[in-house]
Amino acid sequence: MLVLRRRAGESILIGDDIEIEFLELTPQGAKIGITAPRQTIVLRKELKITEEQNARAARGPAGQDLPQVFQQLSNNKLKFPPSPR
Amino acid sequence: MPQLQTKYFGTMAYDEESAFDFPSGLPGFKQEKAFVFIETPEYAPLVFLQSLSQPALCFLALPVLSVNPDYRLAVSAEDRASLGLDPERDPEPGDGILALALVSLHANLPPTANLMAPIVVSVRQRRALQAIRVDRVYSHQYPVSTPQQCEGVC
Repeated sequence: MLVLRRRAGESILIGDDIEIEFLELTPQGAKIGITAPRQTIVLRKELKITEEQNARAARGPAGQDLPQVFQQLSNNKLKFPPSPR
Repeated sequence: MPQLQTKYFGTMAYDEESAFDFPSGLPGFKQEKAFVFIETPEYAPLVFLQSLSQPALCFLALPVLSVNPDYRLAVSAEDRASLGLDPERDPEPGDGILALALVSLHANLPPTANLMAPIVVSVRQRRALQAIRVDRVYSHQYPVSTPQQCEGVC
């Protein structure tokens, strides 16, 4: 990984057409501006991880496998009360 | 009462007011704006998030405290505002707030729960969203082989 130190107001360039400008740096976080071609997808990494994880979660067990999966989840040892609302 | 086709429980009657509104959908499932939460004694404490629009789409979820009893929520100011929560502090599960972790299955590993991005539900507002954490405190693939006993409201 390339590590660079930049101050507020400074930029880095990636390739010919992507610029990342460091607008504001505070202990709470960095505010950055990204200039990139329209077709370049810019995504917060945790959003991408969540999308992938949701896609996996959506696959879920088939109906007939549900009891087995539940057994795996609870290790068949513990019983839980339904959570009250 | 309207009928709902479900993935796991056949056709069920449901009360339209019991559906939960997901105004932004879920990441990767932007079009899914409404889910019914199904709980059964047989599968407690699992909660089934059944899509209203797609019968084949049903997420398995566990209350975060049943996965990790020490779990603390961290909800961004934007997400708190969207749920109508106290803007000043993080919500806690219970007291009108439900926090659910979506469960994923893996080929040769125990199931995991996504504690990085829990579904946070305002029970009063009937509104919910997936509150993605940025603090890396909890894994998006937290193993759940033995959920802990959950006291009181999860």
